[in-house]
Amino acid sequence: MATTTATITINSTDLLTDELALTSTTTLTTAGTSTGVTQTTGLARKTMTFASSGVIDSEVLYRSDDYTADKANKVYIKNTSTTPAEYFEIMITGAGGTAGGGVTELGRLYAGDWAFFPWNATGGTKETFIATIAGTWVAGETWEFDGVNIAAANATVADIAAQIDAAQFPNWVTSRSGAAVTFVARESVDAGTVVTATADIVIVQSGGSDATSVVSSAAMGTKSLSDIYIKPSVHTGMTYETLLIHE
Amino acid sequence: MATTTAAVTLTSDLLSDALSVSTTTTCMKAGTTADGLDQMRMGRNEVPTGTSFDLLDATTAGIDKANKVYIANLSTDETYYVIVVIDAKVIGRLYGGDWMFIPWNMDDATHDLEVTAYVGTNTIEWVKFHENETLATQGD
Repeated sequence: MATTTATITINSTDLLTDELALTSTTTLTTAGTSTGVTQTTGLARKTMTFASSGVIDSEVLYRSDDYTADKANKVYIKNTSTTPAEYFEIMITGAGGTAGGGVTELGRLYAGDWAFFPWNATGGTKETFIATIAGTWVAGETWEFDGVNIAAANATVADIAAQIDAAQFPNWVTSRSGAAVTFVARESVDAGTVVTATADIVIVQSGGSDATSVVSSAAMGTKSLSDIYIKPSVHTGMTYETLLIHE
Repeated sequence: MATTTAAVTLTSDLLSDALSVSTTTTCMKAGTTADGLDQMRMGRNEVPTGTSFDLLDATTAGIDKANKVYIANLSTDETYYVIVVIDAKVIGRLYGGDWMFIPWNMDDATHDLEVTAYVGTNTIEWVKFHENETLATQGD
């Protein structure tokens, strides 16, 4: 079993009239157990820079969809800046807050500051739909969606569905049952409506074919509820370091 | 100037090579290196299950400051946990034995830091390092 420990030491000799000395060590375990966590992103370091005339934007540090909700995940972030006025805003998506629509600001990490906190990683709902391959196909006819183009190897609809399922899509993952391919978005997005329709799939037929790929059972996505955003305070390069330990 | 340092050390053998992260910060007032945070509050609470409690109330005096909050869950049962919430947003679950250390920007008066205990009564310790707070006038 992996053993990961986190120790904090807080000291002050002059904040109070007597010395303040606080130390705590925790062994990071999976939720509700004494079993050590076994996964990490590793330590990462990145510099964020923006054009002086542009808006300073945030970026997604960790996307909830990529992890499991309600676990004992832990996040470490450090602002490596040495300029006192430079800070990173740490934000979490979801209800509440005034840092932006649906974003809650945790706090500001000033130069040299660090944070270590549990993260719930509550993702949203991913849009889904089923594309059913039907009609009469001719080998060589093409099916295209999400930038992926597939040429039918033969006229059998289940085989064409299998070709689609075997393909790798930039924004979707798939599964198949017979001639029906289920698409699930890789990321949860609240588009306000179901985005994908039959017309989004382009079929190039040869003469006399009536090949179709009908979209059904489409369900709208909802936004992620706890993505972590990070936003620098200045346009010039600011560097952060981060580590996620998760299960 | 008060000098308060907060150091963290993370070590692990979950990678094929050793993972070791260690850093120290001196808790300064927002945007300075000459003036340390000079106020603090500290407490220890037993938090019964089922109810969400305000652990720390946000005040407008704390907006855009470099406040720091430390919370440790002293429960010895690893199934016990508290959910930490800021402004109705769940941050995460602090299980028995875990601790956290975060910057806390009291964006507005609703930016309270709340805890809710689960499984059983959780015991927590906490410290808030801050600046710019004046005591409220007696209201009753």
